[in-house]
Amino acid sequence: MSELFQPEAQWQRLPSRYRNARRIRTGLGWLILTIAATVPLWIFLDWRWALALAVVGLGITVWQVIRVNRWVSRFGYAEREADLLITRGLWMRDLTAIPYGRMLAVNVNSGPIDRLLGLAQLELVTASIQSDATIPGLGQSEAAALRDRLIAAGEAQALPL
Amino acid sequence: MTAPSPPGPEPLPGLNPTPAPTDSSRLPDPGESGPGQRSSAEQVERPHPLTPLVRSWVLVLALAFAFGREALNETLGGGDPFTSPFPPDDFTPRFFGTELSVQWLGLIVPAILLLIVGFGYLSWRATRFVIDDQVLRLESGIIFRKSQRIAFDKVQSIDLLQPFAARLLGLAELRLDLGGGSSERLRYLRRQRAVALRDYLLSRARGAQAEVRVTDETTSLLTDLSLADEVLIRVQPQTLLLAALTSHEFFSILLGGLVSAGVGWYFGFRWGLIFIAIPIISSLIGFVGSRVTGQFNYTLSRRPHGVRISRGLTSLTSQSLPTRRVQAVQLSQSLLWRRLGLYRIDIEVLGLGDLTTAEGSSGTSSILLPAGSIEQVRVALAALWPRADFERIELEPTPLRARWLHPFSQPFLRWGHDEQLVVAQRGWLVRRWMLVPHARIQSVKIVTSPLSRRLRLADLEFHTAGLRINAGASGLDAAVVQSRQDELLRLVHHQPTADLSEPLPAPPDPVLPGTPALGPSPAPASGSVDPYDPATWPGAVVQPVVESSGWDEGRTADFWSGRSEPPSEPGQPGAGS
Repeated sequence: MSELFQPEAQWQRLPSRYRNARRIRTGLGWLILTIAATVPLWIFLDWRWALALAVVGLGITVWQVIRVNRWVSRFGYAEREADLLITRGLWMRDLTAIPYGRMLAVNVNSGPIDRLLGLAQLELVTASIQSDATIPGLGQSEAAALRDRLIAAGEAQALPL
Repeated sequence: MTAPSPPGPEPLPGLNPTPAPTDSSRLPDPGESGPGQRSSAEQVERPHPLTPLVRSWVLVLALAFAFGREALNETLGGGDPFTSPFPPDDFTPRFFGTELSVQWLGLIVPAILLLIVGFGYLSWRATRFVIDDQVLRLESGIIFRKSQRIAFDKVQSIDLLQPFAARLLGLAELRLDLGGGSSERLRYLRRQRAVALRDYLLSRARGAQAEVRVTDETTSLLTDLSLADEVLIRVQPQTLLLAALTSHEFFSILLGGLVSAGVGWYFGFRWGLIFIAIPIISSLIGFVGSRVTGQFNYTLSRRPHGVRISRGLTSLTSQSLPTRRVQAVQLSQSLLWRRLGLYRIDIEVLGLGDLTTAEGSSGTSSILLPAGSIEQVRVALAALWPRADFERIELEPTPLRARWLHPFSQPFLRWGHDEQLVVAQRGWLVRRWMLVPHARIQSVKIVTSPLSRRLRLADLEFHTAGLRINAGASGLDAAVVQSRQDELLRLVHHQPTADLSEPLPAPPDPVLPGTPALGPSPAPASGSVDPYDPATWPGAVVQPVVESSGWDEGRTADFWSGRSEPPSEPGQPGAGS
């Protein structure tokens, strides 16, 4: 079934150092969630319940961190002649195609963890909120270059809104 | 601020048309004439002086009612709030927990009223606008002054609203949609002036140089129709009533009430049933009433500048429809509507952020047709997209194994497209058709879940601007979905130069444009108008349908060659599957 999401194109993968950034972010997020759920339970109910919840939460955290590797290796994007393809997801998989002519803007964002690792996030804005086209981790120079290529392609093939 | 106000408040904006210079209107460059000269030439208008009253009439009425009732209670020797803490009437206004006597009320209520009136007066004084051949400028705000100048061609559409109180006084509100979800309101103007300004701004928005003139054509008070209008669809109140009584919303309220009543009965709360029945019945009545009054006299008409919807019994809404900005269309039909041959059309319009989907409310709405027959659907969609023909599109079924994921709706999951439109059909109890032009598709997405991958299925989503209509085809064969996505993308890129919302170059319809039989009669509610008679609809290519009250079952069968038939008849498995 995986060939469904791999049409012939020049598929680009995310840089491997993005895995670390995503691991840190995922681990921290789930850890904070676990603590936030455990502490009130400890205070108001019982330490045994809190312990059980903490074990479950830590389990989920570890599982999510392990999953990052597979998620990142499944993510791919491809610049085709007239559109950008993005495929992602482990369970819910999708393949989004955004015509260059429909792009209103291309944003490059970089958070603190990203900046530490020299990464940036590229976000395509169309008139539809559902499009949700984001390439979560790219090298900063690469992100800028891709942004400029996308904008140039969008200007060349602008479609009327 | 910069604009000098006229010597008097000039309370009659309806009667002074802005003098439009004949030659200089061709050349709207503000740099030529000096700024001081221009500002002296421009005519500043104010809203109608009764505006504060109309804006706060509900509050004023409520306060007057509360005060009057309490005063009456006192004089009749009712409960004295000083002696008994719980007066028999149990109506003592409480402010921050302390009971107030009538004497206090006698001070407070007029004070509040004075405050409201004073605030309203100040707000009215601060609101000014200039609309002439060069400038469209609105000024408002008491403390923080705001002066807004709007480019004429950035006005996307203009709605004329008449809430109940404004309608009684012959006033109207103009709402300018500037795109991007923001709209500016101009309230309240004399109705005639509002109509003239609306027509002027709409023609300016299309790039035409026009003059503000007070039209002598009297638009009908009931429907905001004038002689220039060509009525396409008119929905009768009885159709609205029938549609509301047979809608799925009505039955879901009813079902909820019956379930709770059944639970109450089972647990022995026989007398408690009345407490369930009363709210259910009142909400049913409220639902039907709001639908009928909100969409009362629904009229879809074509004007020289575009398509317009007008509707409403107590409050009148007249909404101009920018067809170019319509992103997607949804047809829907509940279970009983299939028997009656009724459809409802919702639209997604770009930039109209504060649309209301509610049928009853008086704002700008996303309903193109509240309830109508398939002929009316054709007429409405032809008015919207003259260059597209949704009925020609062949809808293909989904593989039978999609039953595992869509156990009830699989027989109705269909989709197809032609050069202009994608159509996706879905729904078991409430059938829905989503129509998206290729020219409005923003992105195309394939989605699979672990289950659907096991079944070799995939969903295809077509993203458009806006969130109300989630268009997509579910349960497609995974083997072909990739090529379908590519095909759609190819169509997105290769659209004809003329948009599908542009009118056809030569109208081929045999019906002369001068023969709309249901012209703008001043009394539109008269019986001479038959919305079910397709011969009276200009531009409609329809076979003559005999008088129908909606109970014509055979009419649904021809919609997409009968494949949209309900499965309720066990003998008919459906032509397609």
